[in-house]
Amino acid sequence: MAGLCSVFSVCLCLLGFSAAVFEDQVGKFDWRQQFVGKVQFALFDTHSQASKKLLVATEKNIFASLNSRTGDLFWRHVDKTGPDGHIDTLMMHGQDAVVVVGNGRLLRSWETTVGGLNWETVLDTGSFQSAAYIGVQDVVRYVAVLKKSAISLHYLSNGHQKWVENLPESDTVQYQTVYSGGNGQVFVLGVVPNSHIVIVEYNIEDGEIMKQKSVAAPWLSSLQSSCVMVGSGVLLCADPTTKSLYTFPLQSADQTTMTPILLESLGVEVAAGFQPVLISTQPHPARPPLSEFFLQLGPDYHILLQLKDGLVSTLRDFNPSYLVAFATTGEKTVAAVMSPKNETASVINLYSADTGRRLLDTTIIYSMDPNGGKPAKLYIHAFLKKDDSVGYRVLVQTEDLVLTFLQQPGRVVWSREEALADVVTMEMVDLPLTGTQAELEGEFGKKADGLLPMVLKRLSSQFILLQAWMSHLWKLFYDARKPRSHVKNEVTFETLSRDEFNLQKMMVMVTASGKLFGIDSKSGTVLWKQYLENIQPNSVFKLMVQRTTAHFPHPPQCTLLVKDKDTGLGSLYVFNPIFGKKSHISVPALPRPILQSLLLPLMDQDYSKVLLLIDDQYKVTAFPSTKNVLQQLQEMASSIFFYLVDSSQGRLSGFRLRKDLSTELIWEVVIPTEVQKIVGVKGKRANEHVHSQGRVMGDRSVLYKYLNPNLLAVVTESTDSHQERSFVGIFLIDGVTGRIVHEAVQRKARGPVHFVHSENWVVYVYWNTKSRRNEFSVLELFEGMELYNSTVFSSLDRPRPPQVLQQSYIFPSPISTLEATLTEKGITSRHLLVGLPSGAIMSLPKMFLDPRRPEVASDQSREENLIPYSPEMPIRTEWFINYNQTVSRVRGIYTAPSGLESTCLVVAYGLDIYQTRVYPSKQFDVLKDDYDYVLISSVLLGLFFATMISKRLAEVKLLNRAWR
Amino acid sequence: MVFKCPGGAAVLISAVLCVFGPCLCGGQQPVLSPELPEPLAGGEVGEGGEAALLTADRFQIEGRAAVYGVRPEIWAPSAVVLVDGEEHVGFIRLDGSFTVNDVPSGSYVVQIASPVYKFEPVRVDITSKGKMRARRVNYIRTSEVLQLPYPLQIRCTGLHSYFIERETWGWSDFLMNPMVLMMVLPLVIILLLPKVINTNDPAMRQEMEQSMNMLNPNPDLPDVSELMTKFFAPPKSHSSSSSSGSGSSKSGGGSQRGHRGGPRRR
Repeated sequence: MAGLCSVFSVCLCLLGFSAAVFEDQVGKFDWRQQFVGKVQFALFDTHSQASKKLLVATEKNIFASLNSRTGDLFWRHVDKTGPDGHIDTLMMHGQDAVVVVGNGRLLRSWETTVGGLNWETVLDTGSFQSAAYIGVQDVVRYVAVLKKSAISLHYLSNGHQKWVENLPESDTVQYQTVYSGGNGQVFVLGVVPNSHIVIVEYNIEDGEIMKQKSVAAPWLSSLQSSCVMVGSGVLLCADPTTKSLYTFPLQSADQTTMTPILLESLGVEVAAGFQPVLISTQPHPARPPLSEFFLQLGPDYHILLQLKDGLVSTLRDFNPSYLVAFATTGEKTVAAVMSPKNETASVINLYSADTGRRLLDTTIIYSMDPNGGKPAKLYIHAFLKKDDSVGYRVLVQTEDLVLTFLQQPGRVVWSREEALADVVTMEMVDLPLTGTQAELEGEFGKKADGLLPMVLKRLSSQFILLQAWMSHLWKLFYDARKPRSHVKNEVTFETLSRDEFNLQKMMVMVTASGKLFGIDSKSGTVLWKQYLENIQPNSVFKLMVQRTTAHFPHPPQCTLLVKDKDTGLGSLYVFNPIFGKKSHISVPALPRPILQSLLLPLMDQDYSKVLLLIDDQYKVTAFPSTKNVLQQLQEMASSIFFYLVDSSQGRLSGFRLRKDLSTELIWEVVIPTEVQKIVGVKGKRANEHVHSQGRVMGDRSVLYKYLNPNLLAVVTESTDSHQERSFVGIFLIDGVTGRIVHEAVQRKARGPVHFVHSENWVVYVYWNTKSRRNEFSVLELFEGMELYNSTVFSSLDRPRPPQVLQQSYIFPSPISTLEATLTEKGITSRHLLVGLPSGAIMSLPKMFLDPRRPEVASDQSREENLIPYSPEMPIRTEWFINYNQTVSRVRGIYTAPSGLESTCLVVAYGLDIYQTRVYPSKQFDVLKDDYDYVLISSVLLGLFFATMISKRLAEVKLLNRAWR
Repeated sequence: MVFKCPGGAAVLISAVLCVFGPCLCGGQQPVLSPELPEPLAGGEVGEGGEAALLTADRFQIEGRAAVYGVRPEIWAPSAVVLVDGEEHVGFIRLDGSFTVNDVPSGSYVVQIASPVYKFEPVRVDITSKGKMRARRVNYIRTSEVLQLPYPLQIRCTGLHSYFIERETWGWSDFLMNPMVLMMVLPLVIILLLPKVINTNDPAMRQEMEQSMNMLNPNPDLPDVSELMTKFFAPPKSHSSSSSSGSGSSKSGGGSQRGHRGGPRRR
């Protein structure tokens, strides 16, 4: 028995080894890129001159610190998704940053050097309005948080609440702003829309209301959008209808109306229909704001104004100007203005805030990416130079979410592609052959033109190959002499070519913001990017490879179908996946909502696969739609089937194509929506190969797999969410005939369900509500001991239903996503890649998810290498393919085969992108990394010399014997 | 969020009519899928039901995590407290304590995710009144209660081991190999034994003979191995006709002849 156990432990050990990473492989073929998403708040640490910190809070509920010299992350905190983790505001003072999270639910203080949490306070409920530091006598002691109906004051040192007060008449007054000039008072400003402004003054010590007054402002609807605080406690509002500014000093005792200042008197004009925007700055929270402010009068028009003794004067007029920002260093405050230079570049200049005078030698030229978006936000990092003049760097965020950090005179220090934090879908495309290889390929395609020219051509191409090989060798030799750190494998389009084993590919990624990327899978370098404008934020994307690189000289071709989620109207974008260039092929207009798209294995004369688009009237559009394609479609029409899913009505329907490109309904399966709803439908992957038709059993008989290429796995969830009555259902439906091949129900279970459908198995994960745990279940389908029709599979001729085996296991962790490995020929054993919420990606051998695992091991099961059943699935950190390179919020895992059968390329995307290779059955077709060349050659040499010497000795001995 | 458009489609080419054969029939497309509506993740577990969604019925999970010998400033910024996956998230303060806010009543698994340090997960049960209980996670016997202190005290149980050792080649491995041992040990005995035991000493010789007799108590009984070799040996004619005649005469033992002849003929 002990022996038996040891056999199994050895077996498990081997399994463990098959997925693990060796320590010396770290970073050899894997890389990770970390992102933060669209920046909402960005602050530079101006506390000390040498500081490199840049704090950002983003729309993805992330608070992070970037190194402003390199753009790398110092640290990053990923809060939960959704409104509960939304960052409302970010303020920084000294070494600490204060963040309000979850619509004013939490107040957190972070230590910014290491990124540790100082304290965290739960606030009362109520929607968040604003927050401000409160300073007393030049020292910032408190932070005030204004909610819809209450204001609270907290100590900055420990987060404890000093006092909380309900706001008077909070059901009619919308309180929106809290202000402190640093002299021991807290002002809360509220507005009754189109009536008056309410100003409440609180005592900082006990929260007692000192004063309360109201000022008539019938034109005002919102304080936040049209008012700012300027100078020593002056409220400044802009009114677009009367084209005037209004001022009101908060501390004045007698004044009861706002003082209007007509914009015409300043000699400026507001653009028609434009809401003027005021921008002011308060460099130190314990001191009043500056009396200078910007007024935006149009989309590209700003002016710098100054308020002095109740009078507004123009300091400088910036027309045209895209973006403006204030920045303070030491005692100096400057204003940066971005204005257009020419078609492709903008220029940023620095102006002194108090005079409006342009500072000399402060020009930064910002060149815009022709494939990118316009600049959207400007953040200034100002610092004092040695000669006490102001130097600065700028951070520009564009519409397509590129963060660029520039310094004078326009050098890009770093840039980050934050659109990649939200990858929606991706494909991997083989790289093209090099020129010489392509030439050799081209030779075979041409028609023969006589023997001698052929021979000559062959010789010349071989010579070219030899030349290329020599230059390659020379490069290797040349690089080897240089120290390792100097050898930089710069990836450019020129050096981009397929390697021997097709391990390097082009990753085409589509992001939610509508930006496309082409990334080299070996290094992670972004080789091309294309921003598609006019993409609705809720669009769905589907990326298809219509032509691969295999059809030289035709360029590869990818098609992106963009569909608006609300209207269902789609559009096609055709491009070359290697260079990112838009193709000039005319695309069909799609006037009707698209229900479905499918890529057929048919090809037109230019080797591009045919894409069929089905609209809501079940009419089919083919792309490309040449005569050749239409003819092929007519021939094939009777064997082209497709299905549609309408989950709102619980209807699955199968259609067949007619010769005139209309469709006919063949079958329909209705799953009653009152009981359950369809949550997912998956077929098998088109590029999947299954190597073996069956499994060899312990008694040497063969159990044949049920390999139905038309099989669909449909997962449903019950509408009843009560823990006793909820269930998860799975249907296996033949997509051609509509026959339900198998049906399984998991009682007391609920979603989210993740599932993988491949070969002859379906693996799905659900939440067991009774035992409160995640469970894996595997369904495997077999034909039985003999195949019905071994030459070809037909859905229409299947007299016997398949045998279905099922087994379930406990999985001791929640999961984020699930995918299966894929290899070229399907010989290598399969692994499941499980994305865990902790950021790890686990490679779980499919062997553990085998419904034939016996409860008691027998000789036959040992013969088959079946592991005895155990209810709990192990999680081993050795199986984590990304070791400590965690991938936050994994959204999807993409697997692609490589040229090596043993190797599968894996890309995990979510907030981060991680690329690696996995070897599910170890590297059986290549020499190992640590292959001991020295040992083997020394042994060979040793043997060689030993034979030589012993031969010589034997000769001498024979000679001696002959003489004797 | 109601979505009208259908989810999926496939090219399904029936193989009877399909000239391309079955391999192409896998050409279905994974869905231009409208994102399926996420089910309401929280709130269903406890008896609180919909009431749990109200903020009034939300509770805090508190605790403290520690890594022996490492200050929290070093490990806490890269660690995060996960409650039932990413459903609720908490951060660890610089003193090692943590709070997860706004958790409705129910049963949860609290886990500290750190890329470097390993922590044991803990199950926390919260009643609808807000009573807390912490117990060891047992996925197989879910009702078993092995109570743990609350507020949680989570200790690091070691470092994650992500890597496996490379098999390195060393002399000790080579020598301890059973095959090598089997080869080398007899060799050593053959070479060394004659030197240790003086065979010329008559007393010793007598002793050895005696011990040999002890091993073979009945000289009349045929040796089993000899019997077997005789039984399986090919007939005499076979061995004499083989080309190994001269070689076998040198080595002597007739019973071995067949064996030596066998491999040579191959």
